[in-house]
Amino acid sequence: MATAALHPIEVRVLGALKNAGWVAFDSLQSGGLLPDQVRRSIEWLSSKGFIEVEQTSVAKLVLLLPTAPELLLLRRLKETGRPVPLGDLRKDFKSQDEFSAALGRARESAWIKVESSAIGSFVSILDAEGAANLERLLTHLARGIEEDALPAELRPLLPDLIKRGIVQKTEEKSTRVRITKDGLAALEATEGGRVERLTPELLATGRWRGKELRPIDVRAPAPRFYPGRRHPVKEFIEEVKEAYISMGFTEIEGAAIQPALWNFDALFTPQDHPGRELQDTFYLMLMEDDSIEREGVVDRIASTHEDGWKTGSRGWQYRWSTEEARRLVLRTHNTVLTVKALESAKEDLRVFALGKVYRNESLDYKHLAEFHQMDGAIMGDGLNTRHLMGFLTAFYRKLGMSEVKLWPSYFPYTEPSLQVVGYSDLAKDWIELGGSGVFRPEVTWPLGVKKPVLAWGLGIERLILLRLGLDDLRVLYDNDLGWLRRRATTNIAGSETLQR
Amino acid sequence: MPVVKLYKDRLVKLVGGKKSVVLQRLPYIGLDIEGEESDSIRVEYSPNRPDFSTDYGIARALKGILEVEVGLPRYEAPRSGIAVTVDRRLAQVRPFIACAAAKGLRLDDETIRQLLSMQEDLHNGLGRRRRVAAIGLHDLDAVVPPVHYEGVPPSFSFAPLGGKNPMPIAEILERTETGRRYGSILPDPHVYPILRDSKKMVLSFPPIINGNETKVSTSTKNLFIDVTSTDKRVGAEILAIIATTLADAGASLQTVEIKYVSSSEATPDLSPSSMPLDLPLIRSVTGLDLSESEIKSCLRRSRLEPSGTTVTFPRYRIDLLHPVDLAEETALGYGIDKIKPVYPASDRPGEFSRQGKRLEKIADLMASSGMVEVISYELVDESSFYKKFERSAEEKVEVRDPRSIDHSVLRDSLLPSLLSILSRNIKEEYPQRIFEVGRVYHRVGKKVEERWSLAAMIAHSQASFSEAKMYMESFFRTLANLEVVTSPSIHWSFSDGRCASVEASGHGVGHVGEVKPSVTVAFGLGVPLAGFELDLSSLLP
Repeated sequence: MATAALHPIEVRVLGALKNAGWVAFDSLQSGGLLPDQVRRSIEWLSSKGFIEVEQTSVAKLVLLLPTAPELLLLRRLKETGRPVPLGDLRKDFKSQDEFSAALGRARESAWIKVESSAIGSFVSILDAEGAANLERLLTHLARGIEEDALPAELRPLLPDLIKRGIVQKTEEKSTRVRITKDGLAALEATEGGRVERLTPELLATGRWRGKELRPIDVRAPAPRFYPGRRHPVKEFIEEVKEAYISMGFTEIEGAAIQPALWNFDALFTPQDHPGRELQDTFYLMLMEDDSIEREGVVDRIASTHEDGWKTGSRGWQYRWSTEEARRLVLRTHNTVLTVKALESAKEDLRVFALGKVYRNESLDYKHLAEFHQMDGAIMGDGLNTRHLMGFLTAFYRKLGMSEVKLWPSYFPYTEPSLQVVGYSDLAKDWIELGGSGVFRPEVTWPLGVKKPVLAWGLGIERLILLRLGLDDLRVLYDNDLGWLRRRATTNIAGSETLQR
Repeated sequence: MPVVKLYKDRLVKLVGGKKSVVLQRLPYIGLDIEGEESDSIRVEYSPNRPDFSTDYGIARALKGILEVEVGLPRYEAPRSGIAVTVDRRLAQVRPFIACAAAKGLRLDDETIRQLLSMQEDLHNGLGRRRRVAAIGLHDLDAVVPPVHYEGVPPSFSFAPLGGKNPMPIAEILERTETGRRYGSILPDPHVYPILRDSKKMVLSFPPIINGNETKVSTSTKNLFIDVTSTDKRVGAEILAIIATTLADAGASLQTVEIKYVSSSEATPDLSPSSMPLDLPLIRSVTGLDLSESEIKSCLRRSRLEPSGTTVTFPRYRIDLLHPVDLAEETALGYGIDKIKPVYPASDRPGEFSRQGKRLEKIADLMASSGMVEVISYELVDESSFYKKFERSAEEKVEVRDPRSIDHSVLRDSLLPSLLSILSRNIKEEYPQRIFEVGRVYHRVGKKVEERWSLAAMIAHSQASFSEAKMYMESFFRTLANLEVVTSPSIHWSFSDGRCASVEASGHGVGHVGEVKPSVTVAFGLGVPLAGFELDLSSLLP
């Protein structure tokens, strides 16, 4: 019971109360403690039963005049030692009223007498000790005595003095405290065996033995701290990479700036295709890749565009331009990297490229000019549309989509072309995920690849929005520090704790 | 991607079949549901299927999938006797024209809306915004053949669609909306193409605007269609798409004789094309183990006509380039939703790229030192990158015609992006410590070099060179047990006297310093800033 924690301030208050009996609250503040601190520790100590607190009310008596007029009169008579003419005595008083009152009181009390004669009225003493009690009372009052402390015989005199305005009586409330036995025990326990904090010195000297750490208020707020953190987009990218790698894929990478040849032509996208126009694609100003010549693989790509080359296609039936292929673009998809990997492939491939892609868009809640794609490809004998479906289903299951569907779609470089939609358990809705297909012979043959190649280009940001319960793509790249610091990691890491 | 609005009842009537079944199959022929209302549905179609630009074309495909009508749709077009002569002066302007007559139509408002929407989509898609091909639809009864496709001077006047008074061509190009938008397509300022009849009445001024006299309305019974182009094949394809659509809308098609200077031909050419039926290819691409007859019936459901070892397909199927295209037609005819996925197993382990792994480690290291990772855009605005630092923009790498000036220049440093992020977070508690690992672009002669960079920025009332250096040095020590050397240097971000170059193993790898007060203030920041930027590409060869 008595082992409850003592705060250092409580220890000091108890210390001041030790062997001191009742102590007025006011006098406790003197030891450098603030009134609030004292008040709070008094409350705690009292609630723990370590002190008794008493509210008292004290009557204060204040002397408003130096003395009573009748005493002044009597003192004068004593000093003179003989009867004094009435007129002489009058001079000692400020007013006739005051003199009359003094004379009246003294006569009523039979301290003096007034005698008239032919030469006038004279005042003389009857009882020299008659005013002794009143004298004593006034002496006590001048020293500031409390009413309760007055001798009993003097008390009856007080009401008259108060009534006459010579003494004022006021009530003053005050608090006083006294240490209890429990308090004494607790104080002794603390002084003997408790420390505020462990110090290297206590440890080094071994003095920590036998000491207890002062229990602290574990409910009190601690200072706020923001640890370093990764960006949620990067955290999700890592998850995607791990999903790919666990399925046997190798990560590939490459430049953001690519010649149109690889970004478009190698993917059998005709040179006047609307997607290649300035309003969709970022072209670099005044720069081109002048190492591109119509020879080797470039010539095979060009011929395939023009008339199908040896692929069996009729081609796009136009004159292919080397100039157009030399233009430099910011890659519009990462399939540019997978198709380049095919060109240099020595053996069967399973690759993915994850990074930024760039589109000439105005930013709004569903469009960004820079975003990420996780594109991939598998090359190998016997691969077909069913394997493409199988891969996408398994891949998205890892990323939290319980079901994946493929709709017919169109891309110039795949046949068949399939749009990927997935059922998001978070959004409870079907979400567009990207495009996929089997590369056309017009793509693979010019690169010297005769085996089937399954390929896909998939977005990332929408999946991240789903995870985070957001609906505006721009929020991901606002870099609002409040959000980056305070967001819950579990939101990106798993679906269970999604907060909407 | 183009969008077409379909009225449900109308579509169901065109197809013939149960409403729920008809609408449910839309995604399985490659149409994306964009939006749905009680009576209509908006679908997005792929640009390689311009025959899907009206409900007639869509109904044609649905009939096949639902087996209401399978195989090749057949179209007849006898001669109309109408001739169009082509002026040799147009050879360098817009040399080709293809025309058709469609008779006995009953046009209601919705049919006209469908036709105009198809015209618009064909203009923008196959017609490449009218540059390659443009379409005119006319009331045939207002035309007195023969029709002449002629070159005229800019002073030539006629009343354009919607206007009563004749206007010179030069003025039409300046005053009308389509004139301003498409005028630049015409290459020769002295010769403009005009289509007019034997009474000199102007049908159209391609590719800009039609004449007013041949305007189509719901009372029009017979149509005359012209498609002018710079590419004969594209013109013929577009006409075939329009003609077959009109035939499905109830018209009897008739051909028009086009008379070039030294040759003549009848248009539209609706004769089907053909390609080899490569059964092993179809089986290997689709993964479907189907017999020959199963494949053939799938193809018939896709409105193609297999016979023996070839497949015949209608003229409007411009998307069929290679025998492999029949794989998708087979899959569609089979039903994409019936194909069973198979997981392509692999016994080889996957792996991270070396660089990807390293960049990841570096970012982890920075985060574990207490910094918050940010991701900023690589395309930035010139002002915050050059003007605020008072540095020359000569070496900047620009992109053409960005939609926003905020994305006009490729960054060469991460520091301005970090400052810009701090400036947007002045209400957030300090201290703030942020970092980014990202791509930067440096102009090297006539080429651009891409490099990976790491930058960090510290912002609080006590931020100093020494704190920035502490983080930078601890980064190197933790990364590679590396001690770096700092020497006095200058940098456009950092104050003179509070800036150092960083050398690792004898190579300059970056800078550390206190941000110039002029820069701090230019970014609207009110606390001292210190930071560093390191070239990761030179650190991690």
